Amino acid sequence: MRRENYLRPLLLALMPLLLLLAACGGGGGPSTAPAGAPLPGRQAGELRLFGADPITLDPALATEVASAGYIVELFSGLVTFDQNLQIAPDIAERWEVSDDGRTYTFHIRRGVIFSDGSRQVTARDVKYSLERALNRRTGSTVAMSYLGDIVGAREYRAGQASEVSGIQVVDDYTLRITIDAPKTYFLAKLTYPVAFVVKREQVEANPRGWTRQPVGTGPFRLREWRLGERIVLEPNPHYYLEPKPALSRVTFLLAGGSPLISYENGEVDIAPVGLNDIERVRDPRDPLSREFQQVDELSTFYIGFNVRKPPLDDVRVRQALAMAIDKQALASVVLRDLVRPAIGVLPPGMPGYNPNLQGLPFDPQRARQLLDQAGGPSRLAGLTLLSSGVGGTPGPIIDAIVAMWEQNLGVRIEVRLLDFGTFLTEVDRGNFDLFSLGWIADYVDPENFLDILFHSGSDNNHTRYANPQVDRLLEQARVEQDQNRRYALYQQAEQIVVQDAPWIPLYHSRDSYVVKPYVRGYSAAPFVVPRLRFVSLQR
Amino acid sequence: MADRGLWPYILRRLLWAPLVLFLVSVIAFALGRFGPGDPVRVLAGQHRDPEVIAEIRRERGLDENFFVQYGRYMAGVLRGDLGTSFRYQNMPVWEVIKPRLWVTFQYNLVSLVLVFALGIPAGVWAAMHQGTWRDPFVIGVLLAFAAIPVLVLVPVLQFVFALKLRWLPVGGWQPRELFGFLELGILSKNIVIPLLALTLPGLAGVARLVRAQVLEVLGEDYVRTARAKGLGEVVVMTRHVLRNALLPIATLMGFALVGLLAGSIFLETLLGIPGIGSYAVEAVNARDYDGIMALVLLTGAAFVVANLVVDVLYAFIDPRVRLGAEAQA
Repeated sequence: MRRENYLRPLLLALMPLLLLLAACGGGGGPSTAPAGAPLPGRQAGELRLFGADPITLDPALATEVASAGYIVELFSGLVTFDQNLQIAPDIAERWEVSDDGRTYTFHIRRGVIFSDGSRQVTARDVKYSLERALNRRTGSTVAMSYLGDIVGAREYRAGQASEVSGIQVVDDYTLRITIDAPKTYFLAKLTYPVAFVVKREQVEANPRGWTRQPVGTGPFRLREWRLGERIVLEPNPHYYLEPKPALSRVTFLLAGGSPLISYENGEVDIAPVGLNDIERVRDPRDPLSREFQQVDELSTFYIGFNVRKPPLDDVRVRQALAMAIDKQALASVVLRDLVRPAIGVLPPGMPGYNPNLQGLPFDPQRARQLLDQAGGPSRLAGLTLLSSGVGGTPGPIIDAIVAMWEQNLGVRIEVRLLDFGTFLTEVDRGNFDLFSLGWIADYVDPENFLDILFHSGSDNNHTRYANPQVDRLLEQARVEQDQNRRYALYQQAEQIVVQDAPWIPLYHSRDSYVVKPYVRGYSAAPFVVPRLRFVSLQR
Repeated sequence: MADRGLWPYILRRLLWAPLVLFLVSVIAFALGRFGPGDPVRVLAGQHRDPEVIAEIRRERGLDENFFVQYGRYMAGVLRGDLGTSFRYQNMPVWEVIKPRLWVTFQYNLVSLVLVFALGIPAGVWAAMHQGTWRDPFVIGVLLAFAAIPVLVLVPVLQFVFALKLRWLPVGGWQPRELFGFLELGILSKNIVIPLLALTLPGLAGVARLVRAQVLEVLGEDYVRTARAKGLGEVVVMTRHVLRNALLPIATLMGFALVGLLAGSIFLETLLGIPGIGSYAVEAVNARDYDGIMALVLLTGAAFVVANLVVDVLYAFIDPRVRLGAEAQA
């Protein structure tokens, strides 16, 4: 038995190994490059960044920042935001707006060529891309938010029309879009990925898989996407705007790990800085402090109330809870000035931002008075705050807020921590008392905050706040043609909202990061805009 | 031949495998569908469009009842279709998992080899020095490594080797191509820290088992006979002691194989290795139903196979195990 049987168990033990080798071997999986080029250190002109796997590279489907960050470099649309957040020509080299403010005539730039070099982009491609995004079968959850103003969009989506009547191809280089009301912010909406141009032949040939090797019109094209590992962009040789990309390639490392350690180790050129590292990075004795930068983000984090549900339907209760929070302490002590305390809804930098807004100040005494008038702390017994996140604790911000309520009002609010999907489902259903969430601008217009979040008819009005006076102001602002008057209307609406307190605005976040001195032209934008073509490396 | 009772025995064990996998799949499927969370809601983000959300749910069959959904999914699996990902929207799950399996498999295999290649000599050496300070010292050091959790070991290794000494990158995965088709990530410096973190804690188990086996065999009559015949110590150790002491180690390997597929959630997440473990975290967070199912089924199958291999090995080593099978045959 000895000799013969000694080898066989080992062979058997190795069988699954061999089988697996057979199954998995032959390469580490889908690589979009012809040959899975290894990464031998750094190439000349290569920028290396931290990134995350996008959920999708389909412009029509993207809803979150991670996907949009790549999509704005790979695709483009009629218009874009420039570095100063002004609307600028892109595929459309110019446009005219009719006198009634409802019809936009776009003149398509000649010589915009798809990144595979196959052919020129025409007005028909734009129409196809917009209709594809609106088609219900495409499954875009954001198309109606951005393109729903176009005449005929609803009918097309419901299957009652074969095309969107408000999108007309006049000739190869002229496109006419008609919207339902003279909304000046419509152009801003067209900067969003959902309005970007895709190549019909490619999409129709492979409706599910085309985004693994997408053809677009953006400044870069996808060289390689290895799931969980890296995304490599290379300049699109057919790109049409100046400046053209100066980098020879951009590599996003997707595998996670610790950005700042990798940055110090020279593995990436730019790295975000989080709460745990901020003290060290800001310390002037640390060499990193010279490479540290901060940019205000167009975002607002807040606590929302279920304003339909007693006792939170009582404005005094909401105001009391708001005035018991010391936002300054929250921003500077808990979050170490990574954020700015918020007074209102609109973040600084957003047009229409009101520096003179009357907020609800931190005033524990007044808060207690209000709460007593409304029936005392016992009315708040058993209330729960929904918070989203992974891990065992809701984090320092929520901990601090709950402690402030307890200390200043004698109220104990329970915290329920949920994963993001469950959290959103509960918020959709109105199954909450309070929740904490943030909102980041999709485009630069106050409508994107105030109308979408506080109009009683909006799908995204999570608090169920309904104030006819606010609704009226928001509706007026939609079609007001004079920008200054329009911003004034938003400021009025915001003032009412802040006093009605369906939200406690907490803070506006800042993008904090370190960037190597040889990286030129990198500007962290306050939200997702194309930026890599402005970057160069100088050694 | 001794094989007569073996094949019926293997067959009997094989018949259990589908049943086990069936139960595992039902439980995992039910946990996903009846548990909280909804992948479509995660996809949609803060922009709510109830019509489209309903459309996506309809298209993915999520509006059907549990049994229809389960039946449809498993029918797909039997045809070799592991489903469609939500986390990587519209991508086939196999396309997402395949490269990750290969990654996890590679570094686990190297670590497995190292564990046995280092653990066996360490165990033999300890056994040969029983009664001196060397035996408890070696075993003690290895046990100390085994006692440090990965969550502690990895940051320490990163701090020492990457930040202070600057010898190694802090993590990541850099494959290199061989022969034009084989992509190996285990040829780069990135692999050193994961290998240390995986191998060091594993050594104690193998070393202690080997040590115990060697000590047991050293007490056997045939070893005394061999020595009495005047054979040299080296010949006694290799020919007589090791061959017999190592047989049970082969069965240990069967279990170790499971690790090749199961992946290490902590290790891969901390070190940024794009394997099965880090995808498991992503998939659960995104409620990537089909992806989670595929992981559960693959890991379950690996366990079933490993158990089968171990049972069969026992049957080879110890004929008493298959006596029952022979009696039935």
